[in-house]
Amino acid sequence: MASPLSLFMPVIPGTDLQKMAQDLAQFQTALGEALQSIGTVHYARTLILDGAMPNLQVGAGSKPTDNYVLAIITEYDGSFDDYIGDFASQVGDVFNAFLKYVVGGAAIIPVQSNQQAFLEYLKTNDASQAPTATPIYQAYDATVQEIYAHGIKPVSGS
Amino acid sequence: MSTTIDFSDVQGTILRGYRVDLARHFILTVTNGPKAGAFIEALVDGTDGLPRITTAVHIKPKPECFVNVAFTAAGLTALGLSDQELTTFDAGFQRGATNATTAGKVGDTGSSAPANWVGGLSNGAAVHIILSVWVDDDPAVLEKVSATLRAAFAGCITELSAHDAKALPDNHVHFGYRDNIAQPTVDGAPPRKRQIPDDQPVVPTGEFLLGYDKAGGGQYSVQPSQLSKNSSYAAFRILEQDVVAFEQFLDAYSKTAGISAELLAAKVCGRWRNGNPIELQPDDPGTFLPPSEVNNFKYVAPQLPPDDTLGLKCPIGSHIRRNNPRDMAVIGTDSVHHRIVRRAMPYGPSYDPSVPDPAPVKRGLIGYFINASIFNQFEFVQSQWSLRSSFVKAATAPGDPDGTNGNAYFNISGQDVFLGVNDPKSSSFTLAAIGQGGTNNTTITGFSRMITTVGAAYVFFPSMTGLRYLAGLLQR
Ligand code: HEM
Repeated sequence: MASPLSLFMPVIPGTDLQKMAQDLAQFQTALGEALQSIGTVHYARTLILDGAMPNLQVGAGSKPTDNYVLAIITEYDGSFDDYIGDFASQVGDVFNAFLKYVVGGAAIIPVQSNQQAFLEYLKTNDASQAPTATPIYQAYDATVQEIYAHGIKPVSGS
Repeated sequence: MSTTIDFSDVQGTILRGYRVDLARHFILTVTNGPKAGAFIEALVDGTDGLPRITTAVHIKPKPECFVNVAFTAAGLTALGLSDQELTTFDAGFQRGATNATTAGKVGDTGSSAPANWVGGLSNGAAVHIILSVWVDDDPAVLEKVSATLRAAFAGCITELSAHDAKALPDNHVHFGYRDNIAQPTVDGAPPRKRQIPDDQPVVPTGEFLLGYDKAGGGQYSVQPSQLSKNSSYAAFRILEQDVVAFEQFLDAYSKTAGISAELLAAKVCGRWRNGNPIELQPDDPGTFLPPSEVNNFKYVAPQLPPDDTLGLKCPIGSHIRRNNPRDMAVIGTDSVHHRIVRRAMPYGPSYDPSVPDPAPVKRGLIGYFINASIFNQFEFVQSQWSLRSSFVKAATAPGDPDGTNGNAYFNISGQDVFLGVNDPKSSSFTLAAIGQGGTNNTTITGFSRMITTVGAAYVFFPSMTGLRYLAGLLQR
């Protein structure tokens, strides 16, 4: 049974959207490698939303706003809490880069040294833990490693 | 790599094995904070006729006794640390050993539940200090030092209980195994007197001391800063071993599995009773290997032999492979982040199968499992690796990408035979054999827990600077 993480992080007003988007793109490879190495994450994606837009999408050429939201959405196996130290070690530098753009992020950088505060931050900003969250739908009930063990190969370069 | 550590600021047991035969652990409650502070100060300075707290500085000739002192969260509060400051401490430490979440996490349930613990340890709020004394081999010296300490803390500290340990010949522990072989090599720590090299990465100092870089970057720290650098934590555990049940387990299940009782003993531990790793010595115990070889092995190699990805020689679920998977692929990050320094000794009389115990005898293992983070090390290893089998990554042997010979994922089941809860309804141990999907494995099931937790505490070992600070908090 996988668990959802739906992290919505309000971006600090005045942040340069292009620069943040570039950083996000630049760290995708490192993030992918780290998640592959952790070995419990089924899918993950990062998104930027704009709360000032009616459809929440960052519009092409739209005016800068103070309502951006950085989102990270994943499905993972096992206990997030117990693995927070491993997670901080593996994706810490990527998160340190993202967190500098978000409200409350500076206080927990570097996450490697602030593991419990990092965990608290993730929980506070995880919409999947909100009272209105509904259980996730799952097409299969197998862990990442179980799937690999049955012969499905890891996606190389992910 | 080489970090410089000020050994004179570090409590000795964190970085040094004392190589002694006797130990006594006092479980203490502070009844008068300021006076207890003065007692600790006298221990730090070695004044008032008290033995001085032992640091990691090598002392020659060997002193009459070694003394270290550690505090629970309640103990730090009793000495004047604020709640605000306590929130900066390790999450597991703050919860404490008797906390229900902790107990569930590490498997202190059923007969091992905190409510059943001995010596006042069941009431975590009253357990403040663990004061430990080690002496070479003379019980009279232990009594003398104990009397001095008791006289000095009388009036400000109540003794809830005292627990003795006594080494068995040749570093053996109950169940008949040789122990004290594997320990992490900590960057900057003094070399072990008896060098036992291994083929594992040197562990960053920050995994065992606050205030140094740890594996994966960053540092562990607490506030105030005086308590941070050179301090550490430990899980203090009293683990009772049912030797008769273990012998019966070996006898019965070796027959089920069609192997000798000694081979089963080696399979569940990962070492033969004589101490040789089954990884290097798969078929018979042989003679005890020289120190240069006895810990010098890995589980994974680019070719077969010596690769043991599948756990055909050393079971993936064996005690030593669970508690330190070395280079085996595990979920999360690698084993360097989850090492433990073990400072534990047996207690109780040795078991002689030819002279069965007339009545149940209390014997087991007592001592400290040391780390810079109880949450990421002791609790992680216990909860994720000893109590689960899902931590092993899918992996196939070299030259067999499709896993025709099996996959590591299928070659572990249940929990650590030593440290698991091992409810007979679900207990399970896998002896792996070549075959796709583990189809030829032998799995033994239905056995019970043979090691019970009868006491525990999560403690903080302040640096010498930290001890002085703590001692002065209520006196100032
Ligand atoms: C009564 C309880 C226990 C018994 C009988 C026991 C027995 C043993 C034995 C015989 C060894 C092999 C000797 C050696 O490598 O030095 C060993 C290794 C080890 N044990 Fe235990 N143990 C017990 C409790 C624990 C606990 C509570 C922990 C920590 C969670 C632990 C962690 C380890 C580790 C980390 C190793 C070394 C693994 C390696 O690096 O290869 N043990 N134990």
